[in-house]
Amino acid sequence: MDTTHGAQAPAAHDEGHASVQTYLRVAVVLAILTAIEIGALYVPGMPNHLLVVLILIFGTLKFALVVAFFMHLRYDNKLLTVLFVGPLFIATAIILAIMALFSAFLLLHRG
Amino acid sequence: MAAEHAAAAHNPNIGITGLDHRKMGMWAFLGSECMFFGSLIGTYLAYKGKSISGPGPHQILNIPLTSVSAFVLLMSSLLMVLALAAVQRNDMKWGKIWLFMTAVLGAGFVGFQIFEFTHFVHLGLTLQTNLFGSTFFVLTGFHGAHVTGGVIWLLAMWWLAVRGRLDSRDTLKVEICGLYWHFVDIVWIVIFALIYLIP
Repeated sequence: MDTTHGAQAPAAHDEGHASVQTYLRVAVVLAILTAIEIGALYVPGMPNHLLVVLILIFGTLKFALVVAFFMHLRYDNKLLTVLFVGPLFIATAIILAIMALFSAFLLLHRG
Repeated sequence: MAAEHAAAAHNPNIGITGLDHRKMGMWAFLGSECMFFGSLIGTYLAYKGKSISGPGPHQILNIPLTSVSAFVLLMSSLLMVLALAAVQRNDMKWGKIWLFMTAVLGAGFVGFQIFEFTHFVHLGLTLQTNLFGSTFFVLTGFHGAHVTGGVIWLLAMWWLAVRGRLDSRDTLKVEICGLYWHFVDIVWIVIFALIYLIP
């Protein structure tokens, strides 16, 4: 079924993963961040700018936690981080460039 | 470096970097997927608030319902890493359970999305209605298609495990499937924040 059965050198494809306890802790943190993120929508009188900044920060934190721990980039070869984070920066630049082209800003209004 | 060359000599899947080609390929693919979804998200945000007719997002999006489905997908990522950990220690009983449960949560997410799409069509929002409809359905529809593909992949891994054709020697296969699964989860984290939560 697979010619590589028994042939994968442990160091060849990964340098160790997190423990199950770490996975569970990360999941609890993700659940708390999600609850705060959604709860912020229902806080009366919350300024719009603050809400947008909070949602962006919590979203980024959740993204980073999943990538670092669940996808093991924190423990894996740095080349894999470059392979993913490089295009991620380009994707972010694409989003910002398209928004700027259409004067569509999350925090600013067209002057 | 000598050890890496030795590993490469014994295993055709290990290159001179010492990394498995299949895993590197998956990360490169996920990098390209970032740009794919980046384009769709950028287009959605560019056209946000520019529809000349309704319904608009504030009239139609159901945040409590989508919060539940977002949480379901987030927790499926936990089950995926538990499946990987079980396969790594050759505990195939739990490996099978977690793989299947991950697929069930993924299917649940797709179910939520089908319900949401159907409900929106009944409320008068289709792909052709306005800019919001076209950008929303294309972005979330492509994500849903990715989740559906992931569910099929997970069920295939589970079926291999049930047939006794998946064990700790196949850890990398489960890990690569997991990378894809976590990616659809992080894309939803971004979509959920930018489309549903930001006013």
